[in-house]
Amino acid sequence: MKNVCSGRCRFTLVAWATASIALAALAAPSSLSAQEPIKIGHVAALSGGSAQSGEAITRGLSLAIEEINAGGGVLGGRKIELLQRDDESVPPKGVVAARELISKEKVVALFGGIDSPVALATVPVVNKEKVPYMGVWAAGTGITRNGAEPNFVFRVSAVDVLVDVKLLDYANKKFGSIKPGLLLVNNPWGASNETGLLEAAKSNAALHIVGVEKFENADVDMTAQLTRLKEKGADTVIIVGNAAPGAQLMKSRERMGWTVPIVSHWGISGGRFPELAGPTAGDAHFVQTYSFFGKQGTIGERVLAALKKKYPQIKGPEDIFSPVGTANAYDAMHLLAKAITQAGATDGDKIREALENLSGKYEGLIKTYDHPFSKTEHDALGPGDYIMVRYDGEKIVPTQ
Amino acid sequence: MLTSAVITGLGLGSMYGLLALGFHVTYAVSNTVNFAQGGTMMMGAVLSFTLSVTAGWPLMSAVPVALVACALWSILVERVAVRPFVRRGSNSWLMATVALGIALENVALFTFGRDPRGMPPNYLTSHFVIIGGLKTQYLQLLIPLVGLGLALSLHAFFQHTRQGKALLAVVQNAGAARLMGIDVERITTLAYALSGMLAGVAGILVAPLFTVSSTMGTLFGIKAFAVAILGGIGSAWGVVLAGLIYGVAEALVTACLGSTYTQIVSFSLVIASLTVMPNGLFGRAGVRKV
Amino acid sequence: MSATRAVVAGLALTALGVFIWRADNYQLYLLALVGLTAVVGVGLNVLLGLSGQISLGHVAFYAIGAYVVAILTTKTSIVFWVAWPLGGAAAGAAGALLAVPALRVRGPYLAMVTIAFGFIVEQGAVEWSGLTGGWNGLIGIPTPSVVGYKFAERQIAFLVVILTALTVWLFARLEAGPWGTAMRAVRDCEVASQSIGLDPTVIRTVAFAISAAVTGVAGGMFAAMSDFISPESFPFFQSILFLLVVMIGGADRVLGPLVGAIIVVLLPELLSWLAQYRLLFVGLLLLVVLRLAPGGLVGMVARLSRVGVKDRYPKASRDVTAMLSAAGDRASLVVKGVSVAFGGVKAVANLTVAAEPSRITSIIGPNGAGKSTVLNLVCGFYHPDEGSIRLAGRELAGLSSDAVARACIARTYQTSQLFGELSVIDNVLVALRRGRLSFRDLLTPDREPEQTAIAQSLLAFVGYVGPLDRAAAALAHVDRRLVEIARALAIAPKVLALDEPAAGLDPGDTHKLGKLLQRIAAAGVAVLLVEHDMKLVMAVSDHVVVLDAGKKIAEGPPTKIQRDPVVLEAYLGAQLNITRDRKTPRSTGTTVLATKQLSAGYGGPDVIRGIDIEIEKGELVAVLGANGAGKSTLMSALVGLNRPIGGSVLLHRRHIEVLSTSRIVAEGLVLVPEGRQVFPELSVIDNIRLGAYRRSMADADVRCERLLDRFPPLKVRRRQRAGLLSGGEQQMLAIARGLIAQPEVLMLDEPSLGLAPMLVENLYDLLSNLRDEGATILLVDQMATLALSVADRAYVLQSGSIRQQGRAAHLRANAAVVQAYLGAPEPAGDRT
Repeated sequence: MKNVCSGRCRFTLVAWATASIALAALAAPSSLSAQEPIKIGHVAALSGGSAQSGEAITRGLSLAIEEINAGGGVLGGRKIELLQRDDESVPPKGVVAARELISKEKVVALFGGIDSPVALATVPVVNKEKVPYMGVWAAGTGITRNGAEPNFVFRVSAVDVLVDVKLLDYANKKFGSIKPGLLLVNNPWGASNETGLLEAAKSNAALHIVGVEKFENADVDMTAQLTRLKEKGADTVIIVGNAAPGAQLMKSRERMGWTVPIVSHWGISGGRFPELAGPTAGDAHFVQTYSFFGKQGTIGERVLAALKKKYPQIKGPEDIFSPVGTANAYDAMHLLAKAITQAGATDGDKIREALENLSGKYEGLIKTYDHPFSKTEHDALGPGDYIMVRYDGEKIVPTQ
Repeated sequence: MLTSAVITGLGLGSMYGLLALGFHVTYAVSNTVNFAQGGTMMMGAVLSFTLSVTAGWPLMSAVPVALVACALWSILVERVAVRPFVRRGSNSWLMATVALGIALENVALFTFGRDPRGMPPNYLTSHFVIIGGLKTQYLQLLIPLVGLGLALSLHAFFQHTRQGKALLAVVQNAGAARLMGIDVERITTLAYALSGMLAGVAGILVAPLFTVSSTMGTLFGIKAFAVAILGGIGSAWGVVLAGLIYGVAEALVTACLGSTYTQIVSFSLVIASLTVMPNGLFGRAGVRKV
Repeated sequence: MSATRAVVAGLALTALGVFIWRADNYQLYLLALVGLTAVVGVGLNVLLGLSGQISLGHVAFYAIGAYVVAILTTKTSIVFWVAWPLGGAAAGAAGALLAVPALRVRGPYLAMVTIAFGFIVEQGAVEWSGLTGGWNGLIGIPTPSVVGYKFAERQIAFLVVILTALTVWLFARLEAGPWGTAMRAVRDCEVASQSIGLDPTVIRTVAFAISAAVTGVAGGMFAAMSDFISPESFPFFQSILFLLVVMIGGADRVLGPLVGAIIVVLLPELLSWLAQYRLLFVGLLLLVVLRLAPGGLVGMVARLSRVGVKDRYPKASRDVTAMLSAAGDRASLVVKGVSVAFGGVKAVANLTVAAEPSRITSIIGPNGAGKSTVLNLVCGFYHPDEGSIRLAGRELAGLSSDAVARACIARTYQTSQLFGELSVIDNVLVALRRGRLSFRDLLTPDREPEQTAIAQSLLAFVGYVGPLDRAAAALAHVDRRLVEIARALAIAPKVLALDEPAAGLDPGDTHKLGKLLQRIAAAGVAVLLVEHDMKLVMAVSDHVVVLDAGKKIAEGPPTKIQRDPVVLEAYLGAQLNITRDRKTPRSTGTTVLATKQLSAGYGGPDVIRGIDIEIEKGELVAVLGANGAGKSTLMSALVGLNRPIGGSVLLHRRHIEVLSTSRIVAEGLVLVPEGRQVFPELSVIDNIRLGAYRRSMADADVRCERLLDRFPPLKVRRRQRAGLLSGGEQQMLAIARGLIAQPEVLMLDEPSLGLAPMLVENLYDLLSNLRDEGATILLVDQMATLALSVADRAYVLQSGSIRQQGRAAHLRANAAVVQAYLGAPEPAGDRT
């Protein structure tokens, strides 16, 4: 090294001192007492392109937490406190955030976000740390079906494999489709559904998938992919992708003058699809777990009213973006609170067992849950809970 | 299918070309670029959307205001993130402009919102001609024309105005330009303003084709930089031509191989062509001085 | 490594060990992440800090290392401990491969190549799904284990801390060793690195490979501790963060990446409460750090603590003369029939020169004669079109410059080319190896005491007495010259080529330099000197070769050259008798431009000192002097291109020395620069119009036409690009461009340079016409007789001061002028 020992020595010290101070600040212990709130973590995309999904989940969680706290909290009056971290849709960031919430903040349970890769990367962490994880959006099949024993990952959301069955079934029943073509976004989510759709097609001998095409989120012209599907004789197009590329797809279809029916996963509901896709937006039929449009149940009315009150920019159902995120999160939070009460403790293993054996019915927003989870089934929603809808202007209306 | 690919490719290509022209003017004058040029493009799109849709201004006034804002932002970038570093002979302007770009993108995220938005239909997007069995929007035909038109008017600006010629003079010999009494710092500011405007125009033009969002500029900016490099960043016509070539090549790869291979193929081509021609396709090698 | 530092490092590691023992899993994970990021930072520092190349795609190497480990450990039975080094090796190989295109490009082009590489690797991981799992990634990557005992977070954190410490330590060895110094040398000055025998291609490739391998090792560890990786684990943005680690910490600092990693990883965690505003904050913070701490935080601390540090080199003296004499058989350098042309112009034509050992052979000639070109040919920077260059019978023509250096030909440059960031002693040490770098040297520190002693002795031999640890960039001008010569001697040359070593030296230093050159020659080295200072040349040379326009016009001993009429004509201009006297005598006018005690320079010593000149209205004043006398410096100081250090410049009795160039030009002081400097891509007419940039444009067109009438060749070519004009036409254009502004004073710097004799005559006829029309002109020309043929008065500059002034007619016959150019013919006995 250079001959400036006194200088170098000094900044060696400075370097280590910086490290120690920083680590010490992070290490500040937090002890728990009976009256302290129960901390619940939420790691999701709060910035970047998927930021809206994080906001939608936050709304659902906050609403449910307010209701629970107003009702006296859990475990003898302890309030629930929500801690949020941004994963920027990047898996390593999500893992760091999850570890921080678990180790430093000692959260009792974690909620996830829209990104399947982040959820998949977080799964090994929560299983190792024995902290229950509630998926409320990411539909990747492997998230709950991860092979761990015991498994701490639960989900109140759609599951790709089940949605895929539903989509093909719907295309077949509604449009008489026997030769569907697939048009999937080139990312993990698209890959997950490619597997799921091809698998689902095997169960129906009359149905034959004629082609699989991919697109990028930034693509503006999808006539090439559509033309290839058309040439292969596709009679329906099943799409998996978000609102922006989905809209480009509808525009390309319209430019070709092709009137093929479109059946879609729920990604297109994550943004302003009608605005982006233009006049043919209504041609796409897609899956949802819940719709705030149409006749609402008592819970639906209550949640809608609470949303309007809490978020003044919400005037009606058309202002609720990404409704599935809000609805799933709302129900999941209530289910978790019930499990904590039933477990009588904040211990992760006990909560997991309580979730797997949840007693009594819970009348939720999406449905009435009766024993939603079991030791082998960690998904609360199944194909029967999915509804098919389409856009009518800015409104979402059921098609069945 | 190929017709459509070529039309889309020409449209996107001329947008890459416009952005790349922005890289070119600042690089030629000052040997620096705003690395976050994609952010400026996003700003153009977001502002014109906000002013025309959210605030309800007529496009006639929304567009110029957005363009002026882009120019001002670009000048700010030069003052804050480029000039201080150049002055002390540092290359850190590259990271500094990236830093400002990150900040801009996030400010847009919080003010504009997280939701990608779509421009409402207008005359240019709702009228069609049928080409090769495809409805082709007037706008799609217009974009390459505007792109080329802007390149031409830039050319005219350089050839026929006093400031334009002063700019060229600085490009060719900054020392001699000073001796003509040309204020090189002011010309650099002018170049940055111009570069911001070009990015703004690109943003406004692609907005109806794409969606408007705070993240729309990032990848676009990187590709435009690839185009600028490929064209030989010192040559104005080179970068415009490289933009068109890149756009069409990209669209053809997408149409023939599927868009999964677009990035691999196009970026491999960039590396390959720079290996063969280190000064870009249309750039000129400098003389080695010892 | 000193004892204190070992203790500090030991204590820090112990403290860290205790911390790891007690920390929770999150802290352990963060610690491991800081460690890995620091390791990547160290790797990137080899590239960015040591070899000065940027990479915006480093995450690709990280990904390659990670994927190799993940694939091997999940899909084969290969254990982590084998897969890990393989991951590093794969990344290193990829780095060496990327170096091929990367070495051909610079700056933003290099940035683009690395960005593209990053994207290709990311997308490749997506598409090669059979191996990489595509978008779904690879899950269930086993953690390292030893005899069946699986590592948990705590053991992994220990492992990473050890890895980090080891990497930092290895980097410290590398940067202090010959490779580190060589990388810095290539970074600071590629040209000079070649002339001490270093091969920049090899060195840059090694830097790329090391950097990539280290990054790959970190990536492999990342895969093993994450359990899961997918293409999204390696986004483009991560590459920017890696760069940030090095820049915030401090590039080319041993601890820089460590500090950078701590900040880049931990700061966002400390700010996690900012949630979505975090990126905004990080972006602005980055800008602030870049602005306030350009050398990074470690650089800033080092700078503050560096004050008052003293040299601690033991006294050492080795016999340099003996060392130089021992450099093997003495051999002549023989250049025979060499020609080279650039763009059709013959720069050197059929030249034959020999440099004998133990003798000083000088090459002189007017500006543009091709002297530096000869040196560049000899040293392998240019390759001759024909002819041979032999050293001891070995053909050198066609060899690369570093190969020529290894064949023992050393050189110095017209503007000293030192490795600016390296210390004085390192500048010499790096050359002592003459390009010999083995891979074993990668981790051996350079400072063998004997080598240091030799370097010290070399510096003492050339007369350098300053601190050995000072960065070369901070040296005074004369010291730069001396250190450069010491560095050249360090390769134990048979031939030492020097390009204007006396430029910018004061007479005292020049004298010492002459003595030094003689001592070097006495040791048996063949000294090949290109120099403008004729006093020096004539005093020290054994043999002088005179070039003009690429051709040898004379050679012989100095005394013969000084009296050779051909040489005199080449220097002073032909036809000593021609005058262009005024037809009617000029009446005295008011003073337009005056300087008072003007001094100026380029950061080093003053190039011109205490200059007092005056120009009256309508007068044509010439400034004469040999090359390097300070004429051009005076010109650029007058127009503010080079801000005067002292004294004042008065235009119509107003101080203008404080104004910017564009303001001075607007005030009416216009310079037609040396070498014309027309705007080559602009048309003739546009060039002229730009001359009126600061004047009102109302009658510009009229004036422009009038000027074109004056220069018929330009009128014909008014729409042509100026770059296509001949030299003479370009000179006309440059003058027209100056005239259109209707300047108060028109200043011309070397207008006859590089023009054919015919054109020079025309040019001077034009100047005399302008003079007769009443223009005020300040003329600088090396061709003294020409300048004096039109001038009313003249100043003779020598070594930066005015030696003589007076009416042109008196100076024409004055021997002092000749002396200023060619040095005084001195008695032979004066030499020592």
